[in-house]
Amino acid sequence: MKGPTTFSPDNVVVGHSARMRAIFDFVKVVSRSDSSVIITGESGTGKEVIANLLHYSSSRRHQPFVAVSCALFSENLIETELFGHERGAFTGAIKDKPGRFEMAQGGTLFLDDIDDVPLSMQVKLLRAIQNRTVERVGGTRSINVNVRVITGSKKDLKRMVAEGTFREDLYYRLNVLPIVLPPLRERREDIPVLMDFFFRRFAKARGIEPPAVSQAVRYAFSRYRWPGNVRELENSCERIIQTCSCGTVRTGCLAAGVLFGASSGSPATAAADLAAPTDATSISLDDRLQEVESNLISWALKVSDGNKSRAAELLGIKRSTLGDRIARCGLTEPAAKEHEEPAHPEDSGEPFAASA
Amino acid sequence: MVSREQVESVLGRIRPMMQADGGDIELVDLRGNSAHVRLTGMCAGCPSAHMTLYMGVEMALRDEIKEFEELVVV
Repeated sequence: MKGPTTFSPDNVVVGHSARMRAIFDFVKVVSRSDSSVIITGESGTGKEVIANLLHYSSSRRHQPFVAVSCALFSENLIETELFGHERGAFTGAIKDKPGRFEMAQGGTLFLDDIDDVPLSMQVKLLRAIQNRTVERVGGTRSINVNVRVITGSKKDLKRMVAEGTFREDLYYRLNVLPIVLPPLRERREDIPVLMDFFFRRFAKARGIEPPAVSQAVRYAFSRYRWPGNVRELENSCERIIQTCSCGTVRTGCLAAGVLFGASSGSPATAAADLAAPTDATSISLDDRLQEVESNLISWALKVSDGNKSRAAELLGIKRSTLGDRIARCGLTEPAAKEHEEPAHPEDSGEPFAASA
Repeated sequence: MVSREQVESVLGRIRPMMQADGGDIELVDLRGNSAHVRLTGMCAGCPSAHMTLYMGVEMALRDEIKEFEELVVV
């Protein structure tokens, strides 16, 4: 996870997909507001990156950005973690400790894994967000906090509300500006952009030139399901940069999971996909076919010493058809013309001399 | 006893990609429930490729063939 000190908006890759572009446009708009944002997305889709981006594009950017994963703490600990505690509140509380809300004073508090917060804690959270005040554990005084709350969730909170595992009032309090991050497998067009970006970044960190990447590796990356999303892709790239010793990333550099995951279809499909031209430049079928035709006719004329009847036989077509095709392919050079009369034996020996 | 076909079918899954990179993985020998393979081509001399394939291919072989024991890269 990127901490606030390592975050730079320049390190965010937007990608080509329309969905991500829409998300980044939305982030630009909502970073100006102070309303709650809820970011929903699978693990590794970049919830914390978006939260960082929201903070660092807002007017609060010179104030603290505090990120906390609610999944890290037990039910009791999460309260002291978020709201702090007073000295003597419990055994081991030897001094006052401010909570994360206070630490984010004036800035942004990112509560990740909000779906892991137990129901009993949800009501306290709601009060804190609604009243903009917190009370330390074991304390009596209310502390005013001015923080913008951004929450992250792996699960669809609306469904959790329906199931009764998430408080409806807290859901509506948090869900002012929703952002839904798509999993990487639903925006595969961004994989090459991200891959190149991570390769460059890790190569730079290691002080080496970014390596060349083979077509098979690009293919494997684009086929793999990436259950760990961008985080998994990032780690795969890091692993490759750290282990590559030859300057070119090839199949052998891939983690076994990626290699086998990408090969889960039929080997024939993979072979066909790999053989196909992977760049998107268009090709003309007619031009290609004419090229093939022209090559074959030239070959037949050559091996039959320019004898068109023999060449037609070799190609399995009629003599007259061959004539038409020679004309169509623009092969009507003098050499070929001379052989239209194979009946003259004196010509067959020195065809070029005869035409000269 | 592990059969050559069983091992080849697992190797065949990753083979197109290895071949596209100018390499291959050859089944050299079967000894009991262990397979000896050889990496050829571009990745043959790369330590990290050895590691990947060693672990990855062995894991895949064990997943698919219950009695499979060991993969030896020769």
